[in-house]
Amino acid sequence: MELKRRSLLAAIGAGTAAAALSACGTGTSTAGSADGPAEGEITLLTPIYEGADGKTLLEKEILGGFRKKYPDVKVNVDYTTYDQLNEKITTGLAGGLLPDVLMMGVGWIPPFAAKKAIAELPEKFATAHDYEKRVLEPSRYDGKLYALPVVLDTRIVVYRKDHFAEAGIKKTPANWAELRAVAKQLTKDGRIGFDPFSINLRQCWETFLFANGGQLFSEDGKKVLFTDARGVEALQFFKDLIKDGSAVYAKKTDTGAPTNVQTGKASMMMTTSALWRQVGEQTPDLIKDDKLGAFILANRKPAMLQGGTLVTQSASSKHPAAARALVEYLATPESILGAAKQRGSVPGLKDLSDSSYVKENKFVDLSLQSMGHACSEGGTAAWMEIREKIKPTLEPAIVGNQSAKDAIAELGRLAEAAIGRM
Amino acid sequence: MATTELQRHGVVGNDRPRTKGKPLSVGRIALYLTLTVVSLLMVAPFVWMVLTSLKTPVEIASQDAGLLPEHWEFGNYVDALKAAPFATYARNSFIIAFSHTVINVLVASMAGYALARIRFRGSEVIFYAFIAALMIPTYTKVLPEFLIVRFMPLAGGNDIFGQGGSGWLDSWWALIIPGAVTPFAVFLFRQFYLDLPVELEEAARLDGLGEFRIYARIMTPQVKPALTTVALLTFESSWNNFLWPLLVTRTDSLRVIQVGLSVFKTENGPQWHFLMAGTTLATLPMVVLFLIGQRYFVQGFATAGLK
Repeated sequence: MELKRRSLLAAIGAGTAAAALSACGTGTSTAGSADGPAEGEITLLTPIYEGADGKTLLEKEILGGFRKKYPDVKVNVDYTTYDQLNEKITTGLAGGLLPDVLMMGVGWIPPFAAKKAIAELPEKFATAHDYEKRVLEPSRYDGKLYALPVVLDTRIVVYRKDHFAEAGIKKTPANWAELRAVAKQLTKDGRIGFDPFSINLRQCWETFLFANGGQLFSEDGKKVLFTDARGVEALQFFKDLIKDGSAVYAKKTDTGAPTNVQTGKASMMMTTSALWRQVGEQTPDLIKDDKLGAFILANRKPAMLQGGTLVTQSASSKHPAAARALVEYLATPESILGAAKQRGSVPGLKDLSDSSYVKENKFVDLSLQSMGHACSEGGTAAWMEIREKIKPTLEPAIVGNQSAKDAIAELGRLAEAAIGRM
Repeated sequence: MATTELQRHGVVGNDRPRTKGKPLSVGRIALYLTLTVVSLLMVAPFVWMVLTSLKTPVEIASQDAGLLPEHWEFGNYVDALKAAPFATYARNSFIIAFSHTVINVLVASMAGYALARIRFRGSEVIFYAFIAALMIPTYTKVLPEFLIVRFMPLAGGNDIFGQGGSGWLDSWWALIIPGAVTPFAVFLFRQFYLDLPVELEEAARLDGLGEFRIYARIMTPQVKPALTTVALLTFESSWNNFLWPLLVTRTDSLRVIQVGLSVFKTENGPQWHFLMAGTTLATLPMVVLFLIGQRYFVQGFATAGLK
């Protein structure tokens, strides 16, 4: 098993953080009441609002509005990247200095809520705006609300309309049998029919698992469910595509690089809703000439993986009222829309489905319309450990000779062991 | 005086026979050709970096684009510099890298000298402890080091037991002190000091020099390649450090250049044109330093048998 620095740190962090929380006293455990006036100096840890645009958006527009509403609250922003977010949170937690307000990914809430690192939010926040029910699912742990969504990133299938027309294909695949046949038909002259591998393998396999009617974990997050036939079939489907020659793992592209669909080297690909923005910057003619379409992956049911960034509050904040006010403010439609525009992400509110941003971005529009099919990763307190193991455990089945059944069984054993340690 | 004589007679000299005017052999031509090809391969990523920094995003994404930019976008550098306070980041990186270099060269050379030339009880054990420390992966040390910094007594509002404040977090102390002295540098210096002839040391003692003056005036000037190697390696690794400064700082005013560059690496992929422009600027000090010290640098590596 590959020993990655992040999993190593997560493993050390899990133990040390627990020890630090229970033994050190840490000096910040005296959290006040969230019902008092919003005042004081707080810190926001964020992996989004990147670059100069993001910084201006957050500090001038969003926090500018927040300062007007809460003049007695000073917000210090600690920028990080998603790659280092877990390290920042883990070390902060171990040192007893968790930022007052934190932004984290989908699937991250149960692990940190189980450690009592983040605070429960009032249920009224869940009804303050017009959320799709599924949008708030990753924000909950044990039935309680711990976070609010800021931006969503969905996993959808994007295809080349010109390739479809050229091959005489009139409709998008409605199940895997059709998808496999269409991919095979479109594979020719060095072009691959389908590229499922240019997004994270973990998220790709999860999307196929959900579309196959499978689940990752039981409701209480204590039982592994993906080891059944549906999980194996999802991985086997990739192997079948490779056997057909209609998908090639070595042809996957790196994040941010022009994708195979953009360059015409693939006719379909699994991608994120943010691809629209990337296409607009790198290959705008594809949008102008209406050459790109998108659909939701389906087999036993349609499924769209919903990732994204949530905002939550530290359980040990010395200024809980101020922290809560900021959490609430960052999840308002105005803040959400700004963040979504800046990143090309999906604003997870029905209220915003008619905004010009959503209407102009076809992938975001499709994602918002398909929120009823959204499924999320995570769902167990051991997720931070398990998520790091999915890709390296499944990859040998795709690039090597390991069977899909064996790879899934191995992943199941690792996941059960991780859950057992909780 | 005895010491001067020894030094004059070239105990540690490295005079080489001159080869001027001698025709090049076939083997040497082949060697030069091989080295030229290898050099081109090594320099290619840097050339690609500079050229990419001068292209537009559309051109970078284009399959038909040539190696050279169609439109030379020097504005990428201006825009990249506007994206974050890079002058502050560069200043911070320089202060940290310079401090690490000075501390490491000074302390590690003293430690290396002591381990190589002074016989005392437990010196072997201490040396093996340094060797063992070399084998500890960096990432396993991050969390313990973070906790030490966080719970530093009487710092950042902490009491004597390290409670109540934030310790050294978000301060220059956290950026400079941990990792300032590396076991590798101690090891390297020890090896260099071991190679020096004992006559030099004995002559210095006959001249009445104390231990510190023998270290500072007689022995250390003989290990210049080690000094330069350690200085350059320390400066380079400190300049390129990313994770530690990110973990222990919160405010922009203490962030370093590598953390600054991460603003161009978004979750949806890097902004290559800006990232390459920023990286080119961040690489420049390293290139300049290498050009200045390359003779000693190569000599140091060759003498220490490092790759």
